[in-house]
Amino acid sequence: MPKIEVQAQEFFSRMGRNYSDEQLEELLVAAKAELDGKDEDEGIIKIELNDTNRPDLWSTSGLARQLRSYEGVQPALYDFFSNETETFETDNREVHVDPRLKDIRPYVVAFCVSGKKVDESTLLDLIQTQEKLCWNYGRKRSAIAMGVYRSDLITFPVQYKAADPDKVSFIPLQDDRKLSLRDILKKTPKGMEFGHIIADFDLFPFLTDSSDKVLSLPPVINSNEIGAVQIGDEHLFIELTGTELHALIHTASIVACDLADEGFTIEPVKICYPYDTEFGRELVVPYYFQEPVGVELSYASRMLGVHLHADEALASLKRMGVFAVHDDGMIYVTVPEYRNDFLHPVDIIEDIMIGRGMGTFSPIMPNTFTPGRLTVEEEFTRKAKDLMIGLGYQEMMYNYLGSARDYIEKMNLTHEGFIQIANPMSENYEYVRASIAPALLQSEAVSSNAVYPHRIFEIGKVAFLDEQTNSGTATRNFLGFLFADSHAGFNQLNSHVSSLMYYLDRDYRLEEQKDPRFIEGRCASIWVKDVMVGVFGEVNPQVLDNWGIQMPSGMGEIDLDLLLHGRRL
Amino acid sequence: MDIDVKNLHPLEVKVLRQVTRDDEITPEGMIESLGLKIGQCNQAFSWLEGKGCIIEDARHTKVCYELTELGRAFAERGLPSERMYLLVREMTERGGYLTLPDVAEALGLENRDVGSAFGMLSKQGVLSMDADKRIKIAQEKLPEEILTAKELLLQGLQGVIWEDQLSDPQKQVMRSHSKKRGASGVPFKMVEREEVSYRLTEVGERYRERLLEGGITGEEFGELTQEMLLRGSWKQGTFRPYQVSSPPNRVLLGRRNPYNAYLTWVKDKLTSLGFEEFDGPLVETEFWNGDALFMPQFHSARDIHDVYYLKNPSHAREIEQPYLDQVASAHENGWNTGSRGWGYSFDRNFTRRQILRSQGTVMSAKTLPRAHVPGRYFGILRCFRYDQVDATHGADFYQTEGIVLGNEVNLRTLLGLLKMFAEEVAGAEEVRYVPGYFPFTEPSIEVHIKHPKLGWFELGGSGIFRPEVSKALGVDVPVLAWGLGVDRMALMHLGLNDLRELFTPDIERVRLRRGR
Repeated sequence: MPKIEVQAQEFFSRMGRNYSDEQLEELLVAAKAELDGKDEDEGIIKIELNDTNRPDLWSTSGLARQLRSYEGVQPALYDFFSNETETFETDNREVHVDPRLKDIRPYVVAFCVSGKKVDESTLLDLIQTQEKLCWNYGRKRSAIAMGVYRSDLITFPVQYKAADPDKVSFIPLQDDRKLSLRDILKKTPKGMEFGHIIADFDLFPFLTDSSDKVLSLPPVINSNEIGAVQIGDEHLFIELTGTELHALIHTASIVACDLADEGFTIEPVKICYPYDTEFGRELVVPYYFQEPVGVELSYASRMLGVHLHADEALASLKRMGVFAVHDDGMIYVTVPEYRNDFLHPVDIIEDIMIGRGMGTFSPIMPNTFTPGRLTVEEEFTRKAKDLMIGLGYQEMMYNYLGSARDYIEKMNLTHEGFIQIANPMSENYEYVRASIAPALLQSEAVSSNAVYPHRIFEIGKVAFLDEQTNSGTATRNFLGFLFADSHAGFNQLNSHVSSLMYYLDRDYRLEEQKDPRFIEGRCASIWVKDVMVGVFGEVNPQVLDNWGIQMPSGMGEIDLDLLLHGRRL
Repeated sequence: MDIDVKNLHPLEVKVLRQVTRDDEITPEGMIESLGLKIGQCNQAFSWLEGKGCIIEDARHTKVCYELTELGRAFAERGLPSERMYLLVREMTERGGYLTLPDVAEALGLENRDVGSAFGMLSKQGVLSMDADKRIKIAQEKLPEEILTAKELLLQGLQGVIWEDQLSDPQKQVMRSHSKKRGASGVPFKMVEREEVSYRLTEVGERYRERLLEGGITGEEFGELTQEMLLRGSWKQGTFRPYQVSSPPNRVLLGRRNPYNAYLTWVKDKLTSLGFEEFDGPLVETEFWNGDALFMPQFHSARDIHDVYYLKNPSHAREIEQPYLDQVASAHENGWNTGSRGWGYSFDRNFTRRQILRSQGTVMSAKTLPRAHVPGRYFGILRCFRYDQVDATHGADFYQTEGIVLGNEVNLRTLLGLLKMFAEEVAGAEEVRYVPGYFPFTEPSIEVHIKHPKLGWFELGGSGIFRPEVSKALGVDVPVLAWGLGVDRMALMHLGLNDLRELFTPDIERVRLRRGR
């Protein structure tokens, strides 16, 4: 979830008044945001935004826009959007797209701003917006990358090209070396971070102006020449490239609205595609593509549990900055330019809820009857736990992930049957446990100072490979138990197993079992009819040695699911 | 100072009763008067000294003698000189004679020992030897020295011999038959013992008075034995009262793990509130873990739940129909849920990819196709998160999740449910609701509670499943989905502040841990 820093002074001036921390916290609820901290020296307020579908809130301007409206200030009108029926003139501000980009990074959108000098606050906010939008919403620049340039240095039309990475070169931002596109990927920090997005293509996306001045290598880095925006600049060119046109247009709308809120004039740019897009081959940005959405008033009432009047619904939506009308039991919403999160009528309902205020909804206790019930496995598990405790065992609880060393090597086992994680955080958490035994032995290994005898058990889940299932794995409820003492041995365990099986009401028989974890001839398998449900015996001294255990130990494990059901489920 | 005679061991009682302020208290005295063993005396004295009943008076070094192995053999079979004399006399009486080698052979002794015994006896004029090396009796009686040595040997069998109890001739004999070190060749080992004598203190005097007043003799019954019951001998005396406040011995008992006991309590609470438990496998598919919850396959919302992938098998064979088609359509164009969908092409290969369950909501979704209306379900499920392990993040942890299905489900019944959880499960004093965000619910609500100990904190998240979730899984009524942050309360309950402690392998820590 994104966290942003807003400049307190700029923010409060936008809000028209100052807020105490407490007031701010209360107000932030309307944006599903939380106060995350403050830096008084820098005049910065840190805010965490919880809604990943509302990237419009991830900037000082966007957040202020939402909260201002919630406080009753009339929302601004954005009159620079072209749409299906109305297209703004762009003079010569155009971007021409190379047809070869279709399968590389097919889309670009852009617009210009002017009419005001960029100050520090704008610059900081613009950098932050770029980062947050491209990182969270743009999936670390793979779906959306954004560049900002000084437009007075650009000769239009801008060219969005596919370039040979070995033949083209330029000086990247904050560098002094002229590097080929391929070298930029290898030799610059940004290249190493984002280069993988384009590295596998034969040609790289590349932005220049008509006089072949380099703008950038999207989505990696700007050129040092016109890609360095500074305080005092008055004319900016903003472009976004990526793979999803809707998301790009939406993101461009957010940035344009933010800058408009700061007092800039937005100048549309025409994008000329050599291939078809959803919005044709010529697209003037900023562009409004949203369809009106509607919700039945009765549905909203039913979901919110209140009798909702149309006026009330409209007022609630207005407070959220959403313009809506009522017609014959339906509420129709004009989706704001900067939003793209109305997928279903329930999304309107939530805005009505927040706009109306949580305090206006009183809780109702559920009044239907439903029978409470545990799973049969849980009930069986509880019986087994009671018996183990009666036998003097202490219940333990363990992690379910571990290393090959603990689960396999120290246990004298092979890798067969284990579920391995493809992307482990570390080799310490690389395998899912297929048995409780390693955890029990680890306990014994770290507990030699605890008074003996040690009798411990755990009932928990294990998982292992199983070809007969759809997933190729099986998860089971297992009972594992360990008895460590100077005289611990097969006979005591045998007695314990016998008591357990008697009180669980299962007839069983034992057979000698060969298992490398146990001493040969002192290990038994437990059979119920023709199903082997478990194993127990004296732990192989080699295994004890592997764990650094110097106390004789007996150990066993029973598949409670097999024992309960008598068969695989 | 408190005088509690229940603190006294029967040995202490006996000693105290035996002595007065004027007595010098020594082991010898107690051995003699009470028939105690030396070890018992030492124990009783050290306990009494600890209680301040007696105080050290003086220390003397005393010499005593103990039989050696050799001495024990002499005592049982006789001294070599004595045996030699008796043998020679017997042979002489029968008219025969013996030489030294004959004696050695007959008595099974070394020639050297026989020689030195003869030397000693002939020097005393008891034996002599003729020209043919035959041994002759020269005197009819054994010398005094040998008789004395024999006495001492027999006395030594009864126990140590104190030097100050010997007569002068005895002392002389003892000295020639003993050594302080390297005593294996002589019958006695000389030992120097430091002996401490004590005097009764004022405190001891008060104890003593109390004992005499109470008629406590130290002969009271200790344990009630089976034999006493069989014979009825318990009727013949009284029982020694125990110090009931003395610290007990430790017992190692079988016991539930308190964290698990807490989770069990939560389960019982939820079943008492009408919820039915669900459970499922640790290995899940992207379909159930994300897609069925309407989280777009390539959206950043998916990053919230960074997951562990399975190396092999990397994909499940198939996804259950018709849910796969319905969920896929819901993502692409909303299907018939009333949604416009996410508007991308659903990846049916990606959806089969296998992962370790990252959120309990998976099982809420999986329960929908078989759920009853009205219905309430819950599960406490182990989940896995791609996180660095530290005090607040575990590689695996429990989540408590559930759903409520019904025609009456709406925002206000959701608030009611959360209020019920807040009060019943968390013991909340105040409840506050704020709008939240979850990819699979709309509206979404977070519930914050004021806990009597922890203050305000977020108890859990909830919401009404998006129709893209519930309808695509075959449910037409609204469904509340909720999750509770039980671990936070569990830590408080157990007095811990590190999540890793919940799964500690340390046996002693688990043994000592208890719930509040």
